[in-house]
Amino acid sequence: MRGRRFSRPLLFAGLLAALAAMPRHAARAQDSAPAGSARPVGDGQTLGSPHRGGTLRLTASSSGGTLDPQINYTSEYAQLFTVLYDGLLNFRKADDRTSDDVVPDLAEAVPQPEDGGRTWRFTLRQGVRFSTGQVVTVADVAASIRRLFRVGSPTAGSFYGAIVGADACLRDPAHCTLAGGLEVDPATRAVVFHLSQPDAEFPQKLAFPHASILPADMPDHDLGNVPAPTTGPYRFVSYDPDRGAVLERNPFFHVWSADAQPDGYVDYIHYDFGLPDEAAVTAVENGQYDWMFDMKPLDRLGELGARHTRQVHLRALYGIYYVPMNVNIPPFNNRLARQAVNRALDRRAMTILYGGAAVAGPLCTMVPPGIPGALDDCAYTTGADPDHPAPSWQGADLEGARRLVAASGTAGQKVTVVVQNTAVEMSMGVWLRNMLQAIGYDASVKPLSHAVQLGYIQNTSNHVQISLTDWFADYPSASNFLDDLFGCENFHPGTDNSINIAGYCNKDAQAAMDAAKQETDPARAAQLWAQAGRIIARDSPAAPVIRINYIDLVSSRMGNYFYTDLYHLIFSQVWVR
Amino acid sequence: MTAQTVTAAPSSPSASRPPGPWRRAGRRLARDRASMAALAVLLAVTAACLLAPFYARDVAHTDPFTSNVAGSVTIDGRSVDIMQPNDNPLHLGLSPIGPTWHASADLLGADSQGRDLAARLLYGGRTSLLISFCAAALCIVLAAMVGIVAGYVGGVVDAVLSRIMDIMWAVPVYLFAISLSIVTVSQGLKLGPVTIASDNLLIPICIIALVYVPYAARPVRGRVMTLRRAEFVTAARALGVPDYRIVLRDILPNVTGTLVVLAPLMMALAMMAESALSFLSIGVQAPGASWGTIIEDGEGLIYTRPMVAIAPGLAIVVVVLALNVLGDGMRDALDVRDSGRERA
Amino acid sequence: MALTVLRRLGQTLFVLVGISVLVFLVFFATPGADPTARIAGRNASPETMARVRVEYGFDRPLPVQYARMMEKLFVTRDLTSYVNRGQKVVPEILEAAPVTLSLVSGAAAIWVVLSVAMGVTAAALRGGWVDRGLMMLGLVGISIPVFWLGQVVNLVTQSRYHDSWLFSWVPGLGYVPLTEDPLGWFRALVLPWLTLAVLFVGIYSRVLRADLVAVQSEDFMRTARAKGLSPARVLLVHGLRTSMITFVSLFGLDFAQLVGGGALLTEVVFGLQGVGRLTYQALSNLDLPLIMATVMYSAVFVVIANAVVDMLYLILDPRVRDGR
Repeated sequence: MRGRRFSRPLLFAGLLAALAAMPRHAARAQDSAPAGSARPVGDGQTLGSPHRGGTLRLTASSSGGTLDPQINYTSEYAQLFTVLYDGLLNFRKADDRTSDDVVPDLAEAVPQPEDGGRTWRFTLRQGVRFSTGQVVTVADVAASIRRLFRVGSPTAGSFYGAIVGADACLRDPAHCTLAGGLEVDPATRAVVFHLSQPDAEFPQKLAFPHASILPADMPDHDLGNVPAPTTGPYRFVSYDPDRGAVLERNPFFHVWSADAQPDGYVDYIHYDFGLPDEAAVTAVENGQYDWMFDMKPLDRLGELGARHTRQVHLRALYGIYYVPMNVNIPPFNNRLARQAVNRALDRRAMTILYGGAAVAGPLCTMVPPGIPGALDDCAYTTGADPDHPAPSWQGADLEGARRLVAASGTAGQKVTVVVQNTAVEMSMGVWLRNMLQAIGYDASVKPLSHAVQLGYIQNTSNHVQISLTDWFADYPSASNFLDDLFGCENFHPGTDNSINIAGYCNKDAQAAMDAAKQETDPARAAQLWAQAGRIIARDSPAAPVIRINYIDLVSSRMGNYFYTDLYHLIFSQVWVR
Repeated sequence: MTAQTVTAAPSSPSASRPPGPWRRAGRRLARDRASMAALAVLLAVTAACLLAPFYARDVAHTDPFTSNVAGSVTIDGRSVDIMQPNDNPLHLGLSPIGPTWHASADLLGADSQGRDLAARLLYGGRTSLLISFCAAALCIVLAAMVGIVAGYVGGVVDAVLSRIMDIMWAVPVYLFAISLSIVTVSQGLKLGPVTIASDNLLIPICIIALVYVPYAARPVRGRVMTLRRAEFVTAARALGVPDYRIVLRDILPNVTGTLVVLAPLMMALAMMAESALSFLSIGVQAPGASWGTIIEDGEGLIYTRPMVAIAPGLAIVVVVLALNVLGDGMRDALDVRDSGRERA
Repeated sequence: MALTVLRRLGQTLFVLVGISVLVFLVFFATPGADPTARIAGRNASPETMARVRVEYGFDRPLPVQYARMMEKLFVTRDLTSYVNRGQKVVPEILEAAPVTLSLVSGAAAIWVVLSVAMGVTAAALRGGWVDRGLMMLGLVGISIPVFWLGQVVNLVTQSRYHDSWLFSWVPGLGYVPLTEDPLGWFRALVLPWLTLAVLFVGIYSRVLRADLVAVQSEDFMRTARAKGLSPARVLLVHGLRTSMITFVSLFGLDFAQLVGGGALLTEVVFGLQGVGRLTYQALSNLDLPLIMATVMYSAVFVVIANAVVDMLYLILDPRVRDGR
């Protein structure tokens, strides 16, 4: 029951479950589907293809909230928006790890950073039209970027706050101009951003769905259930959050970049809402739907693996479970106590509780493997320590952990683990409690509703000592794991929105991260991230637990399974005939 | 609520001295074979559940409250992993070990956290029986107080109490219990200086007792209202006997029959409610066990290891059935005509 | 009579207002329930949070917030969820109501027919083994937790014996609208109907039997028998008609409670997106607008049914009139 049976609302919070992929060959090796032929998109045209046409039928247990691409922060609609809307930049639509790369979309090229990353200069493509027939102009671009602040996009501050004039916009959204920060020239179709400080990841942020370009006359409020005109190969025919969405081809679409936005194969996409996950699994197995959005219930995995092997696709995600420990209150204000937890954590048991080795794997560092700057060794396992890391996780070291707890002088203290009350997380929480008990604490577990837990553990006034939560990258960068979760600027005591849950702030780590964020040379940036990662690993403000995989289930009639790291199945690229 | 018709005024307390109706009722009950069988079943189940620590420690050698997913057990000299990977090409998912039918190791198999099902079943029974017994007792005490005050004092007090009951009545009983549980389960309960932790069994006990108060209070109130107009009460009041004495000496003994008959039925209802709340994960909290939480654990394994859900469910059916049979027998023996609704 | 009706109406309003105020206050007293951060999205800046707070009116005093919520729920009917941004809650309930109504009506038909048959048979063969057997069967029905029964039914029909001729017709879990596919509707619901009805068959057959037995000693029954009418006719025509007063009033209340969301456990195990399940989801997501809407919906049903039954009583049964 709990989260599993009920539509798990994929809202707000951490569930931008997108961002997938581990090393390319590893991901491919796990894929059960036969190696497809049409991996690269080619010229992006589908006209004349024998596979063009038909209706793709999708299902989800519930709708994903507002249709405003600049506000919605769910993976459910990010996946849909990627075939509907375009930004200046986009992530490549490719069924391999190059889908992590930023490519030009409505802009003609990905610009080189100027002023050491303070100025970004774009030229808008000519001849792209909205689904209303209107031409996309630089005025639309400027209005869309301003609209991020005017409608209060969730990432307005965290992603786009470095644009000159953004502070004024955040303070007074209604009069946002971004004067001095955003210049456009209709004659040359130039769009220039000026940042108050260098940001090497600005291209990724502009490729994120929130920076989609909408017509300039969009209202300054949440669009709710009214769809905006699109630029991609499909557009809305109808939308009802209780029933579903119907999409048809956008008659004004033409392929301008096969990498960013190829044409679609199917003529129509029907996305129905309301079918619970258990029923959806049966419906896809029986071919009533082509694809389901929700997590596949654990008890159906055996059946899927045995009877529908060819319809199941396993890919790794840039998603992790981790155990943040509050560094500001006892007992985890003691570094030895935190290291003890890291040492005692049985990542094999956690993998089993999540569903076994096919869907998860032990995780030793806070940045999952495959992201530049990830550490590839393990400091907390049997026979290893931060100075002599082992090449991989070997097993839990309870003895060493007990010694550390004894040395820390915190043994016998009361510790409460706060977890979500979904089946999987509860079982992991109970395991954590037993582990804490075994290394010398008086431990208990406190389950909270999944809607509340994430906000609750962030708020310092709730005095949470240790908790379990998950985290997914918005785009593949170490900053999404290190700076977001351990950056001093993300610690806001007394609020529900303080994603640095551990309350960790280290001068040296912060300096390395700040330098890395501004470093436009990727190799150098990766080094800096690794440096910050080592400091954080030694301080151990959180214990990484497992990295997780994405399990996809499609109908037997679906061809050309096409998966990108960030948006999973690409609806425009699969065949139903 | 049902038609409350009282045809004959009950005999006055002076007539109920030994060998009074209680002893006669006891004899009648003892002659009822169904009731005696039910009583025997209840006693046997209670005894078995009380022996849970003995079974876990000395027979199964396991701690039913510790996850054991990475462990293994020895069966016929062979070591077997408790969590076994599913046998499919993708190695998707794992299943816990099924029933081994060896008392020394996972007699009925393990649950999704590798814990011995049989041991948890016994511990869970202790919790379920404790909660349902306490909740029924508390509910009956509260209902008696509410029913007697409303029925005897009448007037404004009755109106206020009845309106409060109406509010409680207006929400389906399970929804009411669920709402209260969701609020308390995350935070525990703070009543002035007293704080009850969220995993304290008092929380489900109080909630279940509370939501059933209107059901038990109605028949009591109706009975008290008739009693108040009965001759011996009118006579006592005319003589100037203080109200509290009338309530204690004349009213209470005459509603005791109603209350006693309610007891097993309320306990049956409480057990059903407890299992439903725990099934929705808002009753007994992990790592504790009750029959409801075990059914919930088993839900995710229903197709692969159905035993995990079936065994505790059967236990509930057996105990609730026994309680209902006993309640029936007591009603016949005490000859109480209406004692509220059986409902769930 | 008119005065009684008016008073009853006043009481009903009082109960509804009481419930809504209670729900509202409990929500804001629950720690961690502040929906601002959830609406704003993860890692939103303090400015975005402040904006959301103003947009949703969380900065206003509680009575104003309460009044606005009631206005949006009942007058403009555009109250939106705190969890699914922009999702209106009233249509959500209107969507779920037919599912619950289908489930409960079908189950009610089954339990009425079966329990009348069982109750009358048992009363006619009073004291015999058929009587005892039927009543024991009823007791077993009362003693089975409905969610567990549902699980076992699913186990048998969806998994273990799904491929056998007996259950191959059983569709996957979920609801099929009657207007789209009547046969599919029936097939999807017949097992949930039976599962939900088991408990009530037990209760109603036992209540009916008890009433029939009690009524047999009444004067008019004796008169009827003395007039030489056949025992079966006496039981069915005179006895049953009298006993139906209790039966009907019980039925009214149970039906209202189930339609108002009391069938949630059945809805949960069979994956039916009905009112009960919606309420449970709203509660576990702490989605106040949806909680408010579902609780009010359910309370309206139950309160009205209570009032109707009480009125019927007043009209039908003079004995009760003095009791109140």
